[in-house]
Amino acid sequence: MSFSIRKQADVVVVDVEGQLIVGNRQELKQKVLDELEKGERKFLIDFSQTGYIDSSGLGVLVSLSKKIREQGGELRLANLNDDLKTLFELTKLDTLFQIADTRERALESF
Amino acid sequence: MTDLVEVLRAFTSATGCDAALWTRESAAPPMLDSVSRDGSVLSTWTPPFDGPSGRLDSPAGPVIVQAIPGPRRAWLVVGPCTRPDPPLEVFVKFLLPVVTHSLQASLEVEHAATELAERYEEINLLYTISEILGRTVSLEAAAGLILKEISETVGARRASILVHDPERDVLQPVTSLGVGGVTVPAIPIGDECSVSAQVFRERRAIIVEGAASPCPQEQPYRRGTMLSVPIMWTPPAGGMQPLGVVNLSDRATKQPFTAGDQKLITAIATQIGSAIQNARLVRESLTQQRLVHEMELAHDLQMRLLPRAEIVAPDAIVAARVVPAESVGGDFYNLFRLGAGRTGVMIADVSSHGYRAALIMALAMSATAIHAQTSNDPGEVLNALLASLTEELESTEMFISAFYGVIDREKGTLRYANTGHPHAYIITNEGTMRRLAALDPPLGMVDEPPAARTVRWTRTNDLLVLFTDGVSDARDHQDVRLGEQRIIDVILAHRKEPPTAILDQVIATVDAHTAGAVRRDDLTIVLVRS
Repeated sequence: MSFSIRKQADVVVVDVEGQLIVGNRQELKQKVLDELEKGERKFLIDFSQTGYIDSSGLGVLVSLSKKIREQGGELRLANLNDDLKTLFELTKLDTLFQIADTRERALESF
Repeated sequence: MTDLVEVLRAFTSATGCDAALWTRESAAPPMLDSVSRDGSVLSTWTPPFDGPSGRLDSPAGPVIVQAIPGPRRAWLVVGPCTRPDPPLEVFVKFLLPVVTHSLQASLEVEHAATELAERYEEINLLYTISEILGRTVSLEAAAGLILKEISETVGARRASILVHDPERDVLQPVTSLGVGGVTVPAIPIGDECSVSAQVFRERRAIIVEGAASPCPQEQPYRRGTMLSVPIMWTPPAGGMQPLGVVNLSDRATKQPFTAGDQKLITAIATQIGSAIQNARLVRESLTQQRLVHEMELAHDLQMRLLPRAEIVAPDAIVAARVVPAESVGGDFYNLFRLGAGRTGVMIADVSSHGYRAALIMALAMSATAIHAQTSNDPGEVLNALLASLTEELESTEMFISAFYGVIDREKGTLRYANTGHPHAYIITNEGTMRRLAALDPPLGMVDEPPAARTVRWTRTNDLLVLFTDGVSDARDHQDVRLGEQRIIDVILAHRKEPPTAILDQVIATVDAHTAGAVRRDDLTIVLVRS
């Protein structure tokens, strides 16, 4: 379970491997906030390798989205599996995020 | 001092020559130690000892002054003799080895006695320290007594014990002696100037000679020569770990500290190390026990906050249960009898677990109890709840997924608001299922007031089913989720039974799936018929 960060054009792309849960959410948050601090403004979190997000993981995504918006930036999500898509729909979180089916579409949308 | 007088007397009787032994202690002038005959010139005359060994003239005739080889400064004086032959040199050659040997033997006896006395003091010190450590678990109390004992044994007038504080990464004074009421500052581990910090970093004892410390912060610990020894501890897994430093300085004798002193203090520092570690373990264990106890109390309190299902009877028949993942959790439900046949039902899940979630849960429960009585509209109630908790939710980065519905059995309606709660359904006696999906994201994520919607409610026929994701996400030992559908299937299969019987079936299904695997989230289920 880890996060890898790389830059594609001017977008910071974060891959979440495994789960995003109470035990590792702070690590993700810190990594993204560090990039924001360095001046990055476009962020994409790719969930293609993510099986599960618990409620505190969702909380971190919302908190990051707010913080990035406050700095004039944007956060997009991509590659949610069917379970995660349902979770976002059932909790109405899909209304809070821009969610793309693939990484390429997400990158194009910036 | 020596026992040579008998030897010298026998020598004089046999040879007719007088003989004397002179010795000298450090800077003092030479002293007459033994003489073979009282009244001889050797008992009153002081030969010059600064020249080389050889013949001299005493007031009564020629003598030989011969330095005795060995660690102690001593001289053998032979002469004058009653007979001219054989020459004095012959007698010196005879007597010198005897005196040298005897002097050496008496020196060794003296050394052995001194060493024995020192060892006795050291053993006594170790006994005393073991006794101090054995009868107390308060490190501070033990440290003061130990430092006093050590200082007395090695004659140090200034002493301190510093213990490492891992949070601030400094050496913190635990006890000190002879600092004259000065407030002793902590020493940062990285301090390049401080001997104590160096001893801690390098894990080795250091003896420093010389006057005052060049570091102002070190001055309370040091005056003149100093012995600084690391306090080491060996964890059960092996490897040495430094815990602090013992400093001793300002020796009354002004003598430098020796390798023996270092060895002794190192042995004591190891005992102090074990004591520090024991005291820490005891403290941690007590804290842990208190925490467990407090968690149990908090759990009891939290369970008492939840309403009994009977409070909404006879308007509604309810079965409800909360099973926290830890002793305290963030799930809750609430029930309100609103009059005119109306029943308010709420289920909520505060993100996260433990104390903070439990505190938000308690606040949310009391806030909804007030708001449910002041408004009939579920959207307004959840909005008022959000207004009550905005500050807490923002500061803790938590949010609440909540469903609040008001069943009006007379009018045949269910009006509900749903902020991010995924599992709310109406299941009918006929076996149909309708999901009451979230209308808004969870409370705390957006500022907009939650919406509300009205659906038909068929009296005694419909069952309102609410549960939190701890139920559908319950995992077995292979980390496989139970899943929402399995729970719906169980409820559908038992839909015509009383709510308590259906609840038991759901719990049994969860238990059979998890089979004792660790629960990661709270489980809450509420079933309502009205």
